[in-house]
Amino acid sequence: MNLRMQYARPRKLDQATELLDALGTGAMVIAGGQELMPYLNYGRISPSIFMDISGLAELEGIEETAQGISIGALTVHRQIQINPVINSALPLLSFAAAQIGGGRQVHNRGTIGGNIVAMHALYDIAPALIALRAQIEVAGNQGLRTVPLTELLVETDHDLGTKTLLTRIVIPAMDPASGWAYEKLKITEGSYGSANAAAIVLRKPDGDLQVDLVVGAVAEQPVDLTGPLSERLRDNPDTDLDEQIDAVCQAVITDPISDQRGHAEYRKAMACVVAKRAVAAAIKKIKTS
Amino acid sequence: MTKQYVGNSTSTLDHAAFVSGRSTYTADHIFPNQLHAHFVRSTHAAAKIKRVDLSGAERVSGVVLAMDGMQAAEHLDPIPHFVDPIVFGGKTTNLRCLALGQVSYFGEPVAVVVAKDKKTALYAASRVNVEYEPTQAVLDASDAIDSNAPRVVPEWADNMLMQVPFGGGDCAAAFEAADHIVKTKLKVHRQSVQPIETRSYNAVWDHRESAITLYATAQNPHPLRYVLTNALRMPENKMRIVTSASGGAFGLKMHGHPEEALICLLAKLTKQAVKWIENREECLLTGGREQEHEVDFAINADGRILGIRDHFLANVGAPGGTPGWGMAFLTGLSMPGPYDVADLDVLANIVVTNKAPWSSCRGYGKEVTALALELGIDKAARELNMDPVQLRYKNFIKSDAFPKKSATGLIYDSGDYQGVMEKTLQLIDYDGFRDQQDALREEGTYAGIGVAYELTPEGGALPGTLVAGYDTSTVKVDPSGFVTVLTGVTDPGGGNRTGIGQIVADELGVEFEKIRVVQGDTQSCPYGFGNYSGRSTIVGGGSAALAAQDIKLKIITLAAVMMEVPEETIEIAGGIISTSADAGSQMSFVEVCYAAYTRNYDIAACIEPPLESTRTFKPGLISHTPDEEGKINPYPSYSNAAYAVVCEVDIETGKVSLKKFAVVHDCGKTINPILVEGQACGAVAFGIGGMLGEEILVDESGRQLTTDLVDYTMPRAADVPPIALGHHDTPNPITFMGLKGAGEAGVGGSAAAVVNAVNDALKCLNVEVLELPVSAPIVWKAIQAASLGSTETES
Amino acid sequence: MAVDMQELVEDSVLLQCRVNETPCEEFIHPTTSLLDFLRENLLLTGTHMGCMTGHCGACTVMVDGSIVKSCITLAASVQRKKISTIEGLGEKESLHPVQAAFCEESGFQCAYCAPGMLLSTVELLNETPDPSDAEIRSALSGNLCRCTGYQSIVRAVRTAAKLYTADKETQE
Repeated sequence: MNLRMQYARPRKLDQATELLDALGTGAMVIAGGQELMPYLNYGRISPSIFMDISGLAELEGIEETAQGISIGALTVHRQIQINPVINSALPLLSFAAAQIGGGRQVHNRGTIGGNIVAMHALYDIAPALIALRAQIEVAGNQGLRTVPLTELLVETDHDLGTKTLLTRIVIPAMDPASGWAYEKLKITEGSYGSANAAAIVLRKPDGDLQVDLVVGAVAEQPVDLTGPLSERLRDNPDTDLDEQIDAVCQAVITDPISDQRGHAEYRKAMACVVAKRAVAAAIKKIKTS
Repeated sequence: MTKQYVGNSTSTLDHAAFVSGRSTYTADHIFPNQLHAHFVRSTHAAAKIKRVDLSGAERVSGVVLAMDGMQAAEHLDPIPHFVDPIVFGGKTTNLRCLALGQVSYFGEPVAVVVAKDKKTALYAASRVNVEYEPTQAVLDASDAIDSNAPRVVPEWADNMLMQVPFGGGDCAAAFEAADHIVKTKLKVHRQSVQPIETRSYNAVWDHRESAITLYATAQNPHPLRYVLTNALRMPENKMRIVTSASGGAFGLKMHGHPEEALICLLAKLTKQAVKWIENREECLLTGGREQEHEVDFAINADGRILGIRDHFLANVGAPGGTPGWGMAFLTGLSMPGPYDVADLDVLANIVVTNKAPWSSCRGYGKEVTALALELGIDKAARELNMDPVQLRYKNFIKSDAFPKKSATGLIYDSGDYQGVMEKTLQLIDYDGFRDQQDALREEGTYAGIGVAYELTPEGGALPGTLVAGYDTSTVKVDPSGFVTVLTGVTDPGGGNRTGIGQIVADELGVEFEKIRVVQGDTQSCPYGFGNYSGRSTIVGGGSAALAAQDIKLKIITLAAVMMEVPEETIEIAGGIISTSADAGSQMSFVEVCYAAYTRNYDIAACIEPPLESTRTFKPGLISHTPDEEGKINPYPSYSNAAYAVVCEVDIETGKVSLKKFAVVHDCGKTINPILVEGQACGAVAFGIGGMLGEEILVDESGRQLTTDLVDYTMPRAADVPPIALGHHDTPNPITFMGLKGAGEAGVGGSAAAVVNAVNDALKCLNVEVLELPVSAPIVWKAIQAASLGSTETES
Repeated sequence: MAVDMQELVEDSVLLQCRVNETPCEEFIHPTTSLLDFLRENLLLTGTHMGCMTGHCGACTVMVDGSIVKSCITLAASVQRKKISTIEGLGEKESLHPVQAAFCEESGFQCAYCAPGMLLSTVELLNETPDPSDAEIRSALSGNLCRCTGYQSIVRAVRTAAKLYTADKETQE
């Protein structure tokens, strides 16, 4: 660790990206601090420079754009819970943000950007965002680029927050006819989820169900079951939905986590349970008009 | 005497300061040029220390001093044990503040760095280089008793700290004669009390006087001073210990922790104020309760328990200075709880391992007694197809049997156990629940009800130790009529300050607002033993009442002279002195107090100034003279309570939700109902938390995995159901006003009720969880195992 | 380089903010937490340290009227903001209704968690004047109490809701 630490608080995005570029390794970006401060307090991280991005106006605000709802990376969980645009276009996201642990204090301070960049296996936002097919906007010395969130998650050593900045999250509005649910299983109020699942279900014109289903807190990264499930549903149209979800979970979740929230066998089993419960709850919510 | 305050829910003394951030906790003392210490801790559970290189730390600018175990041992003698196991026939060892040559648990202090601020100390500590040669760690008590197990203390012949039998009668004959034998194997996991305020020590060196003032989170300031001055080789009267407001203690802040003496030494060597605040990760190293029981009941066809056998293992971790290990002793001594069983065979095997040493935990081992007995009784009820409540009624000591000598030699003062249980069942509507249970099951809800009883000996005294049964208070009344009470007991946050204030206000007949209670300062308070074992209101309140009565006599004498009426006609209430001899005549309490100090050569010559008295309350019933079987009774008081809980189990996830909770408590006389109820609810939350979420885990090498409060999940508001509370007080005949003590009871009883409720809910699936906690993954696994088992049987 | 490193990067930070209505200006280490700033620089020790990881809530303060955990808030990031701590809520002679309710109902024992519980209650009642028990328990999910079992705290919040409403009506 390092005792001499420096601090920078750029006021413009281009200043921030240029500074990150100039600093090379050893810089670390901080916004709400909910992820980094515990490590800092215990001496577990020691960047040579802390770059506080909380003054970057470009990273703020919630807007409706042609690509969908564009949410600034500095938007805190509480805003996501109560913002009317998100409430109506992305109710699944509002709901999932309310399930984040740590209490109102963390909801008031923690940012959606920080939550994503942390890539913490037990966090709540990522499964919902993946089910919503979110794109992220990244600023670096090469300018802005937009990539699907899932692309970030496959990179094990991404440079977000050290070399590049997550600026905005862009999410297509949900189909108002869809049903959705977010299921989280916690051992006690104060623990991380042992498993969570985000589901969005739409009844297609032919009557078949289109199910977007992502489970979290069971593997190092959220597991997107959408593709495998739709294949199974196509190949075995007559099998019970719950059985299909079970089978997909069994097949796709190959390396469950084992920690204080439960052993690997339990986590895998709970992934099945929350996935089935989320889909069932989502189906109930489908608007039949 | 009219009681204006005792028995009422008087607000906490100084409550405005507590809710406005103006009360002073230990870490709130900040001195000029304040230095900060940070510890380097062992990264191995068992290892030889090859080399400690402090040079990296010493080179950091702002570092004042860095020290390893060799250097510390030059200045510090081994820390005296709070209670040395050797006094009870166990093994002893020299306890060092910093590891010397070897480490015996993960997190053991190895070196310390003092620097000008916290950040520098933290950074410099990371520059200390320790070279270890890891050795085989032994982590389970059952492994540790193997004759080939590595020794935790190399000089010992084995890892048995102490093996101690408890009991009496002829247990073997009881088992021969019984119709049924019910065996229960029970595992209690390691838990930790974790007050929200961690430990903190701030030592200030006075160079002119060669004296130390230590601001400390300490439950027992006077005995701590004895320990520290001995370790530091300094006169006991050269140290002052000040304990400020306490942010919760629950046993953790009983002394014997290595940091205490070391921080004093660092202040002495640097000649400055040195402060250390324990971080949460360090705090989570402390723990207790980990035991494995095999408890067998010999039961007759009619449900009468003839004998109980319980040979248990307690994994007390590495040897330590706090009285943690003694909890295992109490687990044995407290058998057979509230049950009338004369034939008892208990063997406590108290085993050391390479886990961090036990530190005291609320319940002090008695909670494990309750778990073993209450889970065992419920298992017996299930096996014999009896109602668990009726089985208890058959075996409770009857209310007319007191004082009652238990099979281990304890002398229970009073009680009405069946009465307490009956009230509890009414509060939770036991019969109503039983009527609905099957219907709920048919709807797919797995609901269960659990009951449990807990008996907690309180106010303990151990011969030859600074764990005394008595305590002392001083009461002083100023010329202006304000009252200062100085006690030898301390308040860990539960409210005994307020209770003692109420008692003194009533005894003197003054307004509660005029009372100031000062505790925890060895310079101003009389020698006392502090807080443990639910004793503080019993002995602190009792002694303060005696001292207040002395002063009241003087005031009556003087008032009678001043009012020219007979003494026996004087009455004092609410700060007004009146006389039955003359309805119109009265004086203020203040006038008489002023005269007591200023008119001593005329009308006040009848009394001796000042208006001060120091008295000791020494409860009876404690006996340190062994009886014909060699048994002693170290406790004056036996508070007790019954618990009942309704739960639902989600059988797909194993998650347990608590729906209703009821407690009825017998704490003798209640001084302040709202504070006593607060204690009871707090203890219930401990019991619930311990069974549903709290667990300290280590990996196979002994490295601790539970490092923060999202791993160690104590109950939050949404985890605790509303608690219905009742009182069923049977006054203790031998304490002041019949007090029994409140606070310790509840942890084991509520924990056992939760487990019994879960097992009741799952009885229809043939599922039984006796390896604790009953957290969701464990319950789920048991359900899976049972359903696999039944599938196999079917096929 | 387009960016002037000297101008942007600092070894210590001049923090300017208002704490309990009082303006303050202090040079601080860039990594200082808001908790340490309040306790050690301003000697406002009513805000308590429980874990330094954001789990216990004893360090709760308000930043621009919203509760945060000061142990995991970087002091440097509250530049020009309004901080309210428990010391600013009310004093002995002028207790805030929430403080009065916690006293009346003994909504604390050791009171180490009380500053956080009180400020969380203030935010709850600002948004939800008449909360249900479930809303109360959920609003306190960021705060741990080890003494009370929460029963007296929930009761205190209920009483606070009544006093707070009455207080507001009087003011209007």
